[in-house]
Amino acid sequence: MDVVRDVLDKNVIDRNGREMGRVDGILIEQQPNQPVRLTAVLIGPAALGDRLHPALGRVVRRIEKRFGVDGDRPARVAFSDIDEIETKVRLRLAIGETAVAAVEQRLRSWVVRLPGSR
Amino acid sequence: MKKLFNLALGIVTSIGGFVEVGSISTAVQAGAEFGFSLLWAIAGASLFLAALAEMAGRVAAVTKRSMAAAVRERFGFHFQVIPLGAEVIIDTLLLTAELGGAAIAVKMLTGIGFQWWVLPLGLVAWLVLWFGSFTIIEDGVGLLGMVTLSFVVAAWRLHPDVGPVARGFVPSIPQHDVTRYAFLAVSIVGATVSPYLLNFYASGAIEEKWTQQDLWINRLTAWCGMGFGSAVAMGCLVTAAIVLGPQHVKVDTYEQAAQMFVPVYGQWAVVVFALSLGVGCFGAAVELALNAGYVLGQAFGWTWGIDKKRCDVSRFAAAFSGVLVLGVAIATIGFDPLRVTLISAALTVVIMPLVVLPFVVLMNEEEYAGKHTSGPLGNGLLATLTVLGALMAIVVIPLEIFGG
Repeated sequence: MDVVRDVLDKNVIDRNGREMGRVDGILIEQQPNQPVRLTAVLIGPAALGDRLHPALGRVVRRIEKRFGVDGDRPARVAFSDIDEIETKVRLRLAIGETAVAAVEQRLRSWVVRLPGSR
Repeated sequence: MKKLFNLALGIVTSIGGFVEVGSISTAVQAGAEFGFSLLWAIAGASLFLAALAEMAGRVAAVTKRSMAAAVRERFGFHFQVIPLGAEVIIDTLLLTAELGGAAIAVKMLTGIGFQWWVLPLGLVAWLVLWFGSFTIIEDGVGLLGMVTLSFVVAAWRLHPDVGPVARGFVPSIPQHDVTRYAFLAVSIVGATVSPYLLNFYASGAIEEKWTQQDLWINRLTAWCGMGFGSAVAMGCLVTAAIVLGPQHVKVDTYEQAAQMFVPVYGQWAVVVFALSLGVGCFGAAVELALNAGYVLGQAFGWTWGIDKKRCDVSRFAAAFSGVLVLGVAIATIGFDPLRVTLISAALTVVIMPLVVLPFVVLMNEEEYAGKHTSGPLGNGLLATLTVLGALMAIVVIPLEIFGG
């Protein structure tokens, strides 16, 4: 499998078909004397920032933090949690079980206060 | 049969292309300064926009992917970041200009300064987006947009001579102000063929749940819709050429432009002009804000859609609201809508190759167009025109701005 072509930038959907984001980055690991292993996909603007320039990634993380989104950014989804990779990347998890939902939930907490949002 | 109502998508998209602050002002200036001789630029822009919209609609119907999504998946984020960034910037600038244009229209109707209207109009636009559905937006703007046919009616009632009008469809070199002529030609194309229209159109096709069976509807919608806008813009140019041309004035306010309606609509001239301008600009503003939500949502893979509950698409809802707030803020600080449009039009033409060329590549791949790939002739023509346009823009714009 060519991870860059087949995985990177693809749409990620959760178990219920909900669009979560895109594969913004890929985490690989290499132990001595072992082949390279894919460990996780990264989802979130911080990963995109890192891809363009590490400094940009740091700026994005700072903005996210100020915005009230704590924890490890970008969100990581273990490769073992991926169900299948077709035109979209489908996970075995629901969006709520991942860290991806943090921004969405933060915004949602504001949006639901407005009339007509539900 | 019900699908025929989808033609509204074409009308709405073409209003954003042809009947908004930038297109109206460039068409008026072109007519007033160069008679019918720039009609070819509108015709060319129409063919170009219709062909691109048809392609965008085709990809959307076949693969359920909009342009932003398809380009990200095919070319990756590194490539996309430039056209995406440009689109968001142009989108915001144009939104600012359209709000300004709509505010000027209200000012012409009420006599109260235009800066007072930007905030209320922005709020109304947000209410439409927050509480509206895609059908409401599409049919509402499409229906109200019929008022802009007043430009076509005006041109018709002025009985232009067929010969000179027909000659306007052939590009020619004018006897005076060649740079200005070229600049206006580039501006007409740039104000018409905005990348946001293509993404808006494709997103609309997805909102309307088009499938492969709807490809004929797509073709009809793209060509009829752009035909509508094109007719309105040409009506505007012809009217300006006949009424304002002989006065040898350089039109730089909308009040001046409204005078071109006097011979046809008499005392109602300003009202009819203001209504057409207002509806066109307001419709374009709604479209622009919505498209900002679409393009960001699709590029970053969020759940999006104006027909979904806002709390289920909070990132998308936040994106269109945020861009609208930004547009209103810039517009309130004060600026010249005409200047902003011309800057965005210039930027559009320069960035166009980065939008069109990847699209031409996509249209030839089975993954994105299924069996419905484009032919080599169409591809070649689109690619050549785009690159030529951009080169011309790079030469002409500095000449016009810094004096040539």
